[in-house]
Amino acid sequence: MDINLAIAERARAGESLTAAELDELASADLLSLGMLADEVRRSRVGDTVTYVRVFEWSASARTGSGELRRDSAEAASGREGEPVPSKAGEIRIAVVPESLAGAVAAIGNARAAAPKVLLTAFSLADIVDRAWAPLVDVLRQLKSAGLDAIAEAPIDRVADLAGALQACQDAGLAARCLSLQKPVGGARIDLLVLLQTLAARFAWVQTVAPLPREQSVAVPTTGYDDVRAVAMARLALPAVRNIQVDWAQYGPKLAQVALTFGANDVDRVSPIDDETLGRRRTAVEDVKRNIAAAGFTPVERDLPFDSQRGGASPLAQGRPQ
Amino acid sequence: MDLRSFEDRIKNGGRLSANEALTLYRHAPTHWLGRMADGVRRRKHPEPVVTYIIDRNVNYTNVCVARCNFCAFYREVGHAEGYVLGFEEIFRKIEETQALGGVQLLLQGGHNPDLPIAWYEDLFRSVKQRYPDFKLHALSPPEVLHLSRTSRLPVPQVIDRLMAAGLDSIPGGGAEILVDRVRQLLNCYGKATSDEWLEVMRHAHRAGLRTTATMMYGTVETDEERLEHLLRLRALQDETGGFTAFITWSYQPEHTERGGAEATGIEYLRTLAIARLVLDNFDNLQASWVTQGGKVGQLSLAFGANDMGSVMIEENVVRAAGAVYCMDEVEIVRNVEDAGFQPKRRNMHYDILGDPFFRERSVPRTLELATARDAGDTSVPAELVNYPARSAAGKRQRSQPPASPVA
Ligand code: SF4
Repeated sequence: MDINLAIAERARAGESLTAAELDELASADLLSLGMLADEVRRSRVGDTVTYVRVFEWSASARTGSGELRRDSAEAASGREGEPVPSKAGEIRIAVVPESLAGAVAAIGNARAAAPKVLLTAFSLADIVDRAWAPLVDVLRQLKSAGLDAIAEAPIDRVADLAGALQACQDAGLAARCLSLQKPVGGARIDLLVLLQTLAARFAWVQTVAPLPREQSVAVPTTGYDDVRAVAMARLALPAVRNIQVDWAQYGPKLAQVALTFGANDVDRVSPIDDETLGRRRTAVEDVKRNIAAAGFTPVERDLPFDSQRGGASPLAQGRPQ
Repeated sequence: MDLRSFEDRIKNGGRLSANEALTLYRHAPTHWLGRMADGVRRRKHPEPVVTYIIDRNVNYTNVCVARCNFCAFYREVGHAEGYVLGFEEIFRKIEETQALGGVQLLLQGGHNPDLPIAWYEDLFRSVKQRYPDFKLHALSPPEVLHLSRTSRLPVPQVIDRLMAAGLDSIPGGGAEILVDRVRQLLNCYGKATSDEWLEVMRHAHRAGLRTTATMMYGTVETDEERLEHLLRLRALQDETGGFTAFITWSYQPEHTERGGAEATGIEYLRTLAIARLVLDNFDNLQASWVTQGGKVGQLSLAFGANDMGSVMIEENVVRAAGAVYCMDEVEIVRNVEDAGFQPKRRNMHYDILGDPFFRERSVPRTLELATARDAGDTSVPAELVNYPARSAAGKRQRSQPPASPVA
């Protein structure tokens, strides 16, 4: 089905589309949708694609020591004990320890290892689930320990996401992006409307990662699902600057195609230029080559969506006070 | 660039020249190319159907004297990892394929100097004797040429003999880029020049065989040379009408002598789309999910492909070069339906055979493609002693008592 011209005009003008309009857009022909999302994206953020090299650590879940580990691929390659690579633009800690003391210690350890690198950690959903103390107090403690931002806030895992984001705002600690944990079959309109509402209320929410973090091995999301989700996020969220795709999870091919359907930021590029770690850990040159081959200009960022190393960070500037 | 005038031409079935195709390939927006290709696809296939075949991709030997520098699959004569599949192993693979609803083998292999034409004839005959309805889509043009050279028979005679033994159709492998400058750089000029590849196909079509055509891009060729390749295929199709389908894929560099980087997903979709526009006399274009993965494989259906290719069951060549994607019938069907099409099983001639097999009969899920042999299986088939070897290593091996086959 071709795109309704009136809806397309409203999307081009950066107006917020209604649920009914989004519903109609969702059934449009895939390439028409991609064309429109690409047009809207170019007028919103130009033809650059930002990417970030992320050094990932897992905090030990059980101990309170804040011990940090690398993932299995790097551990297997003998890199586990290596220091933070100088090329890392962000350190991200996955896995929330069982105790708040453990979380604070993990952040302290990471901060000590790389005092000047942007440090993000944890899913806001996991922190809410732990219920260690009033959320705002927990977030303040994490911030005091050296955390720059919560790594992500999955919109389908936090019952009162607006309340949780308000706590982030009150604690002065942003969530790096709003994400989606589980695949949603088809009907995403309610989630897009929720995102619209959150973006309107929290202007510092400038990044949405619309592709699910979890995939079934037997029944993964399809290419159509993925690029349609990216395009719909771009068209539904004129107030959000960055639509993000995860290079490590989605791989070069899908991540690259997603750039032509409205995405403008590539997450989780490896800071280690070593192809022996597998196809999804390709060297940064390969990431840049893919971005350029999709018709965009690659720009590395080290602070959220700040295109210049060492420049002022929109996250820092827009950080909720 | 006036896209509007191109749009009208393409919608009216106008033919693109080499220069026009080059302009579009280089400069047209990716989504625009996809929409044009999709329009042509819909004109040729008005029913919302996407086809696929259940067959098995069997490589009967990895021993090869051609030494193409883009190939990670072959082993030199006498190499410890060189293998030839035994007839019994191939029969077992056929039976496994039939159990999954499969109707043919795609049978290709290296240029093994120690397999004379009689070995192929005996294999084909015995397959047809045991499985009369099962099809053999076998031996790409360079393999046919190799047999012509080792048997000192002209190509038409080789084709006639193979057909008499049971050959049903010829796969379009070994085309790479049909430009001799490129073939020389890839060290595949010796296995078949561009003209020789086309000539084998011409003979096959004249003999009544249908064949496919392929293009492997992304090594050393220029954009102009990719288009020259497509135009040469289009010209032969005008002449014979013998190609059933076109399949393109990107060079897979891992573990190859040539090395380098793989062309990107966008480049694949653009190449597929331009192929749909240039090859106006080809009915069918396949998606290469085995090199692009399931997601971009599915997106191919929006960029001109009308066929998801084969379930494959087994794959050895692109796996050797680093690609490890797998789609079983359930997954292919799910992707086809998710894209808004009806999935239909077909044969090599693109005759519709029916609805998905797994909906008629319970079949196990496959989450990983099989390989030619289990790792470490170095057994030598007993029947090989019946065929004279040409190489010193082959002669030595055949003079030894046969090793017992691995269970
Ligand atoms: S591509 Fe085929 S002919 Fe070339 S080396 Fe590999 S197996 Fe041999």
